[in-house]
Amino acid sequence: MSAKERNWWIVAGVVIVLYALFPIAWIVSLSFKAPADIANGQFLPTVFTWANYSQILTGDAAALFLPALRNSFGICLIATFLACILSMFAAYAIARLDFKGKKLILSTALAVAIFPVISIVTPLFNLWRLIGLYDTWPGLIIPYLSLTLPLSIWTMSAFFREIPWEMEQAAQVDGATSWQAFRKVIVPLAAPGVFTTAILAFFLAWNDFVYGISLTSTSAARPVPAALGLFSGASQFEDPTGATAAAAVVVTIPVIILVLIFQRRIVSGLTNGAVKG
Amino acid sequence: MTTTVPPTTTAPPATAPSTGASDRARGEQRLGWMLAGPAFAVMLLVTAYPIGQAVYQSLFAYRLTDPENRRFVGLNNYGVVLSDAIWWQSIGVTVLITVITVVVELILGFLLALVMANALKSIRPVVRAAILLPYAIITVVSAFAWQFAFDLNSGFVNSWFSWIPGISADTDWFGSFGSSILVICLAEIWKTTPFISLLILAGLAQVPDVLQEAAKVDGASWWQRMWKVTIPNMKAAIMVALLFRTLDAFRVFDSIFVMTAGANGTESVSFLAYRQTIARLEVGLGSAVSVLLFIAVVLIAFGFIKGFKVDLSQARGEK
Amino acid sequence: MRRPWRSRLAAAALAVVAVGGLAACGSGESGPPVLTWYTNPDDGGQATIAQKCTAAANGRYSIAVSVLPRESSEQRQQLVRRLAANDTSIDIMSLDPPYIPEYAQAGFLAPIPPDVAARVTEGTVQSAIDGATWDGKLVTVPFWANTQLLWYKKSAAAAAGIDMSQPVTWDQLIQAAEKANTNIAAQGRRAESLTVWFNALISSAGGAVIAQNSTDPTQIQLGLDSPAGQRAAQVMSDFAKSGREGAAFSTAGEDESVAAFEAGTAGWMVNWPFVWSKAKSGVEGGTLQQSVVDDYGWAIYPRVDADKPAAPPYGGINLGVGAFSRHPDLAYEATECITSTQNQKEYFLTNGNPASRSSVFSDPEVLADFPMAPTIEESLQLAAPRPQTPYYSEVSGSIQREYHPPASVSPATGADATALIQAVLSGRQLL
Repeated sequence: MSAKERNWWIVAGVVIVLYALFPIAWIVSLSFKAPADIANGQFLPTVFTWANYSQILTGDAAALFLPALRNSFGICLIATFLACILSMFAAYAIARLDFKGKKLILSTALAVAIFPVISIVTPLFNLWRLIGLYDTWPGLIIPYLSLTLPLSIWTMSAFFREIPWEMEQAAQVDGATSWQAFRKVIVPLAAPGVFTTAILAFFLAWNDFVYGISLTSTSAARPVPAALGLFSGASQFEDPTGATAAAAVVVTIPVIILVLIFQRRIVSGLTNGAVKG
Repeated sequence: MTTTVPPTTTAPPATAPSTGASDRARGEQRLGWMLAGPAFAVMLLVTAYPIGQAVYQSLFAYRLTDPENRRFVGLNNYGVVLSDAIWWQSIGVTVLITVITVVVELILGFLLALVMANALKSIRPVVRAAILLPYAIITVVSAFAWQFAFDLNSGFVNSWFSWIPGISADTDWFGSFGSSILVICLAEIWKTTPFISLLILAGLAQVPDVLQEAAKVDGASWWQRMWKVTIPNMKAAIMVALLFRTLDAFRVFDSIFVMTAGANGTESVSFLAYRQTIARLEVGLGSAVSVLLFIAVVLIAFGFIKGFKVDLSQARGEK
Repeated sequence: MRRPWRSRLAAAALAVVAVGGLAACGSGESGPPVLTWYTNPDDGGQATIAQKCTAAANGRYSIAVSVLPRESSEQRQQLVRRLAANDTSIDIMSLDPPYIPEYAQAGFLAPIPPDVAARVTEGTVQSAIDGATWDGKLVTVPFWANTQLLWYKKSAAAAAGIDMSQPVTWDQLIQAAEKANTNIAAQGRRAESLTVWFNALISSAGGAVIAQNSTDPTQIQLGLDSPAGQRAAQVMSDFAKSGREGAAFSTAGEDESVAAFEAGTAGWMVNWPFVWSKAKSGVEGGTLQQSVVDDYGWAIYPRVDADKPAAPPYGGINLGVGAFSRHPDLAYEATECITSTQNQKEYFLTNGNPASRSSVFSDPEVLADFPMAPTIEESLQLAAPRPQTPYYSEVSGSIQREYHPPASVSPATGADATALIQAVLSGRQLL
């Protein structure tokens, strides 16, 4: 590759980084603007202020934001955990066993993944009202499984297919009990796939908005994306731009951390099976 | 919104033997269902049951605040929806957004993938991490960021781009249909292009180097190689990406909800369904819209698979 | 923002929430019942009142607040969804008046004991009582009453040579703004504020959105296609095309209007009295010059025609008690505490939301902080309620759809909107 060509690829890379970061930088910058500064027409604040953060973390928006943050974490983690457990068994069966219905399960997962969420939300709303799941954690965890399960089954079975299962038998031949063989050989091989799947599933659940606004109505279960639209200025006629921006930044921090630490895994999870022929 | 990404190639077959004693086969059959059954049942429970319920409810005139007057109306709700101009308008808006975003994302995603494939090893992790951020960020957050940027009061776009004819300090981006759609599409494109580009990048890696080298030896130009070798060989990856993004774009809701709340005729089908059921509490009519949306999605998926011959069994990693 | 009270109120809010949270954990066990009060967002005033009334109850009950979304239409969605599920946790609700008939008709409100009804309406302005009534019966407790004023910059009025102590019409305003080379801030966004504006126009023109009311949706007669409706549509479209409506009129809400007024691009503005509190806190916070606020003037809302009185928008909040509440008696007791004259006065002073009880408007402390209080009271006497119907959300939603953007309004809009509302109410069309 010539030096000139190389420079062009570097420039292109920098452009991509700017493209990806610019809107994020903007919302971060906005979150540091004082109310009077919001309309300054500039990208950066004239004076940096933490006021928006103190408003949502300790101020009068905290009663709205903090429970929402707790709900989001709790609900998404549980939904991710359940999806991983369920799909671990399913993916093992799909990858290792030969049974009729494998195709049916994978097709179902595919169908569920393309399902319009809004079509599910209407009847769920009605059903949840009747059986008392409306505005509760389980009331969101269950529909979140419709988002996380298909992805988890797909990603995990793709990972599990690549595990050299023969090694388990080899270990048993070498005198290990089947439990030891499983724990010492298979678990370390399978763990990265499960972990990557968990991250992707968490992103999906964390991103949900439709279920969040439709199936909750109080701080008992309302997740952050739904709460973002509920901030208010000092009176209900005033726009809460600063508080919304600050809350948006706070909920973005976890995904940024996950992306920075696990970027390689996330990419392999997203494209698994496609990279290796 | 994000979607599941299917593995796009055939994985090596599982190690389990496909022949053997029928006892063993039966045992494996049972074990398979015991392991995979719960996940399967949960998936059915959270989708098949609600859609069945929606079909049932769509046959009634039923307003939540007026349960006494709930009555069976047959297919009347569907007649109301299908004969209403707003349904067709929302279909039009949804298709418009879908076509614009998917086409732009495909081209842009291809360019991004080319850069990533060719970027130096040293900057590749940085580019990769950066590109994952839009994918991982919450759609609503992205919608707010774009809305605030273009907003007349809080935004900077008007003052930065006032040198472009037609943009001034007073340009109201959310005041008309065209500019609202433009901003909605920008937000969607920003958020989901990385996903497409990663799939295309994976597809690029699939193209056998041997073919590239052979074409080079034959004296093919860069463009010729791209058109004759690279793209045909990654058709499957592109088609799968296209299918998933199209279905995803067709469900667009979050950005519209945040940015315009449907003003100036920017309602998507999902938004229309949301308003009938959740906002107006007209459960019967809303269910009819939901069912029709579901049918539309199924038709698109079917059309893709038949029309473009997207091989989903290949995409599923099954033979 | 209103820093000085803010941190204090925040602490109060947190305390209330903490109390509520602790108490909720122990519900079903011993201890005083916790009444949950669903409030619209404000500057923390309702949380403070909740705390005060909890203290005043001497352990018989405590009040926990739960905040609803910002748009009144979304507040309604949240509450109605829960009430339709027979939610027993809804004790007290801060309700926007136009939605009250829907709650009452659906049986979502516990009946008011006659003695309570008598006490809470005593000395209350008539428009607030009307807003709390459905089908001839008081169904909610008037809390605070809002109305829009015509705000102006004295400098702009002087430049235009217009006497703001006299009633003005929309046409005169546009001419004055031409002369003073400034804009008029109003709310043209596709939201409830558009219905608020339209309703004020049609009422001032001598008409009404609903000409003949009925609880049967197919029997409701509309007045949109009447001469008054035509006149209102004309004023709306004239204003939107006047060139004096300001930038981004079709997406402007209340807050955008204030921004234009404070920045000086608008010399006139129709808006709720929160603009005064906002201006004062802007001065305290150093983001607004005192001289700007000194230039503020206020008058009664503009008329449509010089010979017919103005019909300013009426808003505010009334308190409803949930029909499925386990403690309706205690909840009604609490609403009496919440809406006491003293609390109404303090809420006015701290949050800028006007009282529903007449005596508050002549209170010296109120007058010192809100010199426009007499104008607000006068405006409340003139104020026209939005159409009272259990199908308000459909009516308002249809109006917003047909009359937005305001510049597109034509003489045919009234007939179109009538057809749409009738079709929507009879289930023949989507909204």
